[in-house]
Amino acid sequence: MSGKEIKEKSSKKSNGDEKSDIIVKAAANLEKEFKEHSVAEFFKKNKQMIGLYGKVRTLTMIVHEYVTNSLDACEETGILPNIDVKIDELGEEYYEVTVTDNGPGISKENVGKAFGKLLAGTKFHRLKQSRGQQGIGCAGCTLLSQMTTGKPTKIITGKEGAKAISLELTIDPSHNEPKMNEVKELEKDFRGTAVRAKFKGVLYRDSEQGALEYLRRTVIANPHAQISFRDPLGQKTVFKRTQTELPELATEIKPHPKGVTVDDIISMGKRSGARSVAGFLNNEFDRMGAKALDEVKKRVDFDLGKDPKKIEWDEAEQIIKAFKQIDFIAPTTDSLRPIGEKQIQNSLQAIVKPDFLTVMTRKPTVYAGGYPFQVEIAIAFGGGAGRKVGEETKMEIMRFANRVPLLFDQGNCALTKSVQTIDWKRYDIKDLDNSPLTVFVNFISVHIPYTGAGKQAIADEEEVLEECRLALMQTGRKAGVYISHRRRAGENQQKRLMFYKYIPEICKALSIITKASEDSLKKNMEKMVLAKLKIEDQKEAEDNAKTEKTLAADENSIVVDNNKKEKTKKEGKK
Amino acid sequence: MAEKEKKVKKHSKTTEQVSPKEIAERIKKTAESMVGQIGKQQDPEFTTMQRGKSNVVWDEKKGYLELGEKEVTRTFLNIAHARKFMQTTLIMQKAQDYLSHNKTASIREIYYELKHTIADTKENTFEGQDESDPIIVDLEHSVDTIREKLNLHANPKGTLYGDVTLLDRMHNNDKFNASKLGRGGWSIMSRVEPEEIELVDSNAEYLLVAETEAIFERLIEEGFPKKNKCLLIGTGGQAARGTRRLIHRVHKELDLPVYVFTDGDPYGWYIYSVIKQGSMALAAHSEFMSVPEAKYIGMTIDDIKEYDLQAVTEHMKEGDIKRAKEMMAYPWFQNKEWQDQLKKALDQKVRIEQQALANKRLDFVATHYLPEKIRNKQFLP
Repeated sequence: MSGKEIKEKSSKKSNGDEKSDIIVKAAANLEKEFKEHSVAEFFKKNKQMIGLYGKVRTLTMIVHEYVTNSLDACEETGILPNIDVKIDELGEEYYEVTVTDNGPGISKENVGKAFGKLLAGTKFHRLKQSRGQQGIGCAGCTLLSQMTTGKPTKIITGKEGAKAISLELTIDPSHNEPKMNEVKELEKDFRGTAVRAKFKGVLYRDSEQGALEYLRRTVIANPHAQISFRDPLGQKTVFKRTQTELPELATEIKPHPKGVTVDDIISMGKRSGARSVAGFLNNEFDRMGAKALDEVKKRVDFDLGKDPKKIEWDEAEQIIKAFKQIDFIAPTTDSLRPIGEKQIQNSLQAIVKPDFLTVMTRKPTVYAGGYPFQVEIAIAFGGGAGRKVGEETKMEIMRFANRVPLLFDQGNCALTKSVQTIDWKRYDIKDLDNSPLTVFVNFISVHIPYTGAGKQAIADEEEVLEECRLALMQTGRKAGVYISHRRRAGENQQKRLMFYKYIPEICKALSIITKASEDSLKKNMEKMVLAKLKIEDQKEAEDNAKTEKTLAADENSIVVDNNKKEKTKKEGKK
Repeated sequence: MAEKEKKVKKHSKTTEQVSPKEIAERIKKTAESMVGQIGKQQDPEFTTMQRGKSNVVWDEKKGYLELGEKEVTRTFLNIAHARKFMQTTLIMQKAQDYLSHNKTASIREIYYELKHTIADTKENTFEGQDESDPIIVDLEHSVDTIREKLNLHANPKGTLYGDVTLLDRMHNNDKFNASKLGRGGWSIMSRVEPEEIELVDSNAEYLLVAETEAIFERLIEEGFPKKNKCLLIGTGGQAARGTRRLIHRVHKELDLPVYVFTDGDPYGWYIYSVIKQGSMALAAHSEFMSVPEAKYIGMTIDDIKEYDLQAVTEHMKEGDIKRAKEMMAYPWFQNKEWQDQLKKALDQKVRIEQQALANKRLDFVATHYLPEKIRNKQFLP
């Protein structure tokens, strides 16, 4: 309930209604209570709203929060991330998660903020390509752990050249304040951060939505990271890095006028150091030159010379209305940091191990007029591509948003839809769902248009769908060349075997009837088959040459020759 | 891939005169021709007559179906033929073996004798009898003979009852009368060639062929064959080769008219047409199996009204309707009477079984229906 409504209700008191007296008291209490509700309390009561539903999903989400935290910390300080994840089963739906990184470590002053204060890291309208918080953040994990087990989160952290410390952390939910206990200085040298927390009501599964698959995909999209994982059964998997350079850090950009709301204008104005609204608009927005400013001036009824800290709601509305009418140049796109074609190629080759692979990073473009974005697509076929379900191999779509794997809400996602709307038969993929195929889609933007609070699906922005479809068609065509070529080669081999297997039966029968030598019949028939297939071989050889030429000319495609173990085209192996 | 088609002249020698030795020789020649081709590294060939509707000719003058003159050639180096080619050589070898050792076997036995897993594969030489049966027919046509001359036979089906004396030359020259074998009669063998079964003599005046075993038994229980001086054959559905051959021989050799009694539906009528004019599958052998002079007694759609059987009709099923429509288009059904029957059946969508006559009385079929129809010569052509 908002304060405005309460005021309205209290005004009823003047009517002399006795009942209303009680209502007013109750309302006042409610208001007080509401104020005391901290973010942490709110979180406690609304877990579902932030994607914390489903036992398997929650555990994967926890791993995601810790790993994202580690990756961000490493990248910002120029360290190649080494992350170690362990999950131990302590009882029924009761697990302990331990994540250790080689990052910069956190000072004692900041540990509480990082792991014990909700929404501490969120910055207002930071227009920068980032992994972002998809759910609850590390502090959310701390709170979830203490809510479900009553136990604190244990943290060990050390900075370069300083002594490492260990501590136990809890959160005071009504004040959203971290509480540190058992703070100790350790003797041993350790740089990095290790966090260990227990959770109840969660479940580990070795499935497409499990932590293992999450980490596998994380390394595919972050080839500079190395992650090892030990599952509750003690099985250890190491995903090695395939790239030793750190990705370039994304830069923050000014918002484009087409990508802001009324509320944004007011809050940005309050934080602005400019002396006039004109100066504020000029400084804080992308593509806001003198000409555009003139256009805004013509369209508003107040003086642009006024203090930006004092912009009224209706004035902000006028500005937004003006922004909508004016033709701005599209936003700058140089702030986007794709993974890169070569990098994706290398990591998919090392981790998925397909027979064929083709990658494409599209040029950046803009959606909804104001947000730059870019898509990266890879198609992997054969070999280790696709998802193994028992004996069968199914097609899989690996979705990413700014390098973060999206494992849930697949059906609602624009990236999935773009894959489904492609006519794959044109690329010799007859039965998409049952093909050994991995489709990799990375969506990069300064602002990801998620469909819900769970942040696992991307909204159907027209431009996003179109870009994905274009990239899928271009890579699909290349895959089609390879797949149809491979199918034909297989058919010829089958033909040879089919003729050969009948020869002994025929020769035996004919030899019994005619007394002719079985051996010489056999030799002659085999020669005959080879002679026939040689003609077809010649066709096949020409075919091969053509296909190889096509694919060799393309540096973004790799064909793995199973006979020679690995045959890479030009660029691929550099 | 369609097998190669071409027109050639048929063998002129009549099948009945060919000895087993000569058949064996023909198979050997075919095999030798294949060996010769392989020696020259040419694709070996096997030639046979094309079968099925597209190569069946209705000879109105002779009154039966004949095989046309289209041949097909099967070659080894053809993806679509290779397996069948292999199977053909196996059947050739086995048939030659039977002929030279004077053995006979059922077509099921030859299938089991030849079925085995092909080395280094999960594939069998024959996956089912439905694969070996057509190859046997291919071979029959290729060496211009009938199955019986390959010392092969199908499972026997069909029964003979009545005053006719037979002599089994293959079994101690047993001589017996088919009315003295008890109520079950004589089981018709699948091979009833004259050199094996001789028709010695008979006092019967006609041969009645009945579709169902139930009617066959009913008529014997009522003493029908004796009272009406007839022979009785029960086909048990579609007449088997041996049964058709025997009907043909009884008609030719004992000079008896043949009357056919089936259910009143497209299936029953087709049984009649196969006895009379031959089948599409065995069009090549019609000359020795069909009885163009055979007449049809019933059941007819008119019988329903005539004998007041409205209460015991059945609905035609979709398959019956489809079959009736096909039959209306066959050249050998192009006469007023049969077009009329088929049309009535399709209009009313009814069928009438032989046993529906029991609705009158159990013996009605023997005491009234058949005698009246035969006395009044109330037949369909």
